[in-house]
Amino acid sequence: MRQRNAETPLLPVKDAREAALFFVVAALCFLAGLAALTARATYGAASSWTSEVEGELTVSLSGADWVQAETAHALIASEPSVAGARLIPKSEIDALLAPNFGSRGLPDSLPVPKLIAVTARPGAQDLGIRLARILKTQGYTAAVDEHAVWAGDVRRALGLLRIGAFAIVGLLAATAIAVIAFATQAALLARRDIVDVLHLSGARDRFIATLFERRFWEMGLKAGLAGALVALGGVALVGLIAASNARSGLLPEIELGLIDGLILIVTPIAAALVARLSARWTVLGALKAQV
Amino acid sequence: MSTTKRAPVDGLAVRLDQVAVRYDASTPLFSGIDLKLKPGSFSFLTGPSGAGKSSLLKLLYLALKPAAGEVTLFDRPVSRLDRDGLAALRRRVGVVFQEFRLLEHLTIYENAALPLRILDRKESSYRADVEDLLAWVGLGDRLHARPETLSGGEQQRVAIARAVVTQPDLLIADEPTGNVDADMGSRLMRLFIELNRRRGTTVLIATHDLGLVRQMEAPVFRLADGALTEDREFAVPGKAARRRTDAVRLSA
Repeated sequence: MRQRNAETPLLPVKDAREAALFFVVAALCFLAGLAALTARATYGAASSWTSEVEGELTVSLSGADWVQAETAHALIASEPSVAGARLIPKSEIDALLAPNFGSRGLPDSLPVPKLIAVTARPGAQDLGIRLARILKTQGYTAAVDEHAVWAGDVRRALGLLRIGAFAIVGLLAATAIAVIAFATQAALLARRDIVDVLHLSGARDRFIATLFERRFWEMGLKAGLAGALVALGGVALVGLIAASNARSGLLPEIELGLIDGLILIVTPIAAALVARLSARWTVLGALKAQV
Repeated sequence: MSTTKRAPVDGLAVRLDQVAVRYDASTPLFSGIDLKLKPGSFSFLTGPSGAGKSSLLKLLYLALKPAAGEVTLFDRPVSRLDRDGLAALRRRVGVVFQEFRLLEHLTIYENAALPLRILDRKESSYRADVEDLLAWVGLGDRLHARPETLSGGEQQRVAIARAVVTQPDLLIADEPTGNVDADMGSRLMRLFIELNRRRGTTVLIATHDLGLVRQMEAPVFRLADGALTEDREFAVPGKAARRRTDAVRLSA
């Protein structure tokens, strides 16, 4: 009995155009993965940071000596909504201002405000306003800095960042669809001879579309995987840089977790699906234009 | 090749009613064409180059929509069929294209077996038939060659094998003997006759080869000046013509 090789695919395996398309889809997946991972990591880091500072207030007393500051501290600590209050000692203030005034400490004649760090009880409402009122009635000149006010601003900015990240991922997906549709059109034109012979030999439109679907599904999966891996490398690099600059506080701490892993797994599958569906619609649309 | 006879189709195999083909807004290539081919008939189509023979054949293998009129195959008006219906009808039509249209990346065997692959048949179920068919057209030792390594005549034989491999109900051939020598031309004609006689396949062959036409006892349609007429010059029914047909069969 004659030994036969496996059936040759009806679409030629090698196509120079597909290398270029592979690169484009991989690049799109890299950008989409990077956008999703960066947005998630930044959002996660900033979110945990804002939740840490949200219950914190800083009371700044102007023109008060250390005795008056101790009295104000006791007054604040007695407030029921206050979980804890700490009068920041001069040594700490000296350390905070050391970069500007040197390590020898501040001269006593300098009117540096006294600072009281306050931690609110969970669910405390309008504590900043209340403390300001109490201190004013006791004759203090005080400013209360409620961290929740600007933490809220940070949260709103993070919300915008998330919407922006989704928009970027959506835009990249739309670009991928357009690019793959264009590439499928080009592949159809280049393989017109094959499509025509199959069509005239009685192949159903779905049969022909499936050939292209399979080809682009495989390409999307491989390109998506390549893009996702490069994105993972990119995020890991950013994480390393962030970790080495942790003390500067300029970059959030980035850690890769389960959700990030899911993003990296979903990216190539999404790319493959987009490629497959885009190829299917393009081929079926093109065939419908024929008899 | 298996030659099991299928149940004959009812009515006409091919019917063209007042068909027109127009490639642009100007004068149509032809119009008002009528044609009726009975199931199991064997006919030729002749005419000068540019008269529209290939376009007429394209109407029959459903590669072209008429600008006017109706094409009916096996009692099914083509204009009323959906996409799947058209595909199903195409599977009943074997076509030998003038330019062969072999797929360069497939082997000779795979090209010939392509319509069976489209039908999703198991390769093991048709392998022997396809190999026999290719051996019959003289390509039994070239099964795994690529089309580019074949001569024009050999490629034409592969194209013919692909057209007949499913034993279609209608076989349309555009200059099928144009690139082969007289001996191979006779062999190929024998294949067409065999399909026609033993399976009842309706055969329509477009050709310029009047010598070939003269050997056959078959109606000849002539497409010229936008009109399709039956060419009486070749209509020589009777024993003499039948003897000529037998001569073709015996010489193959």
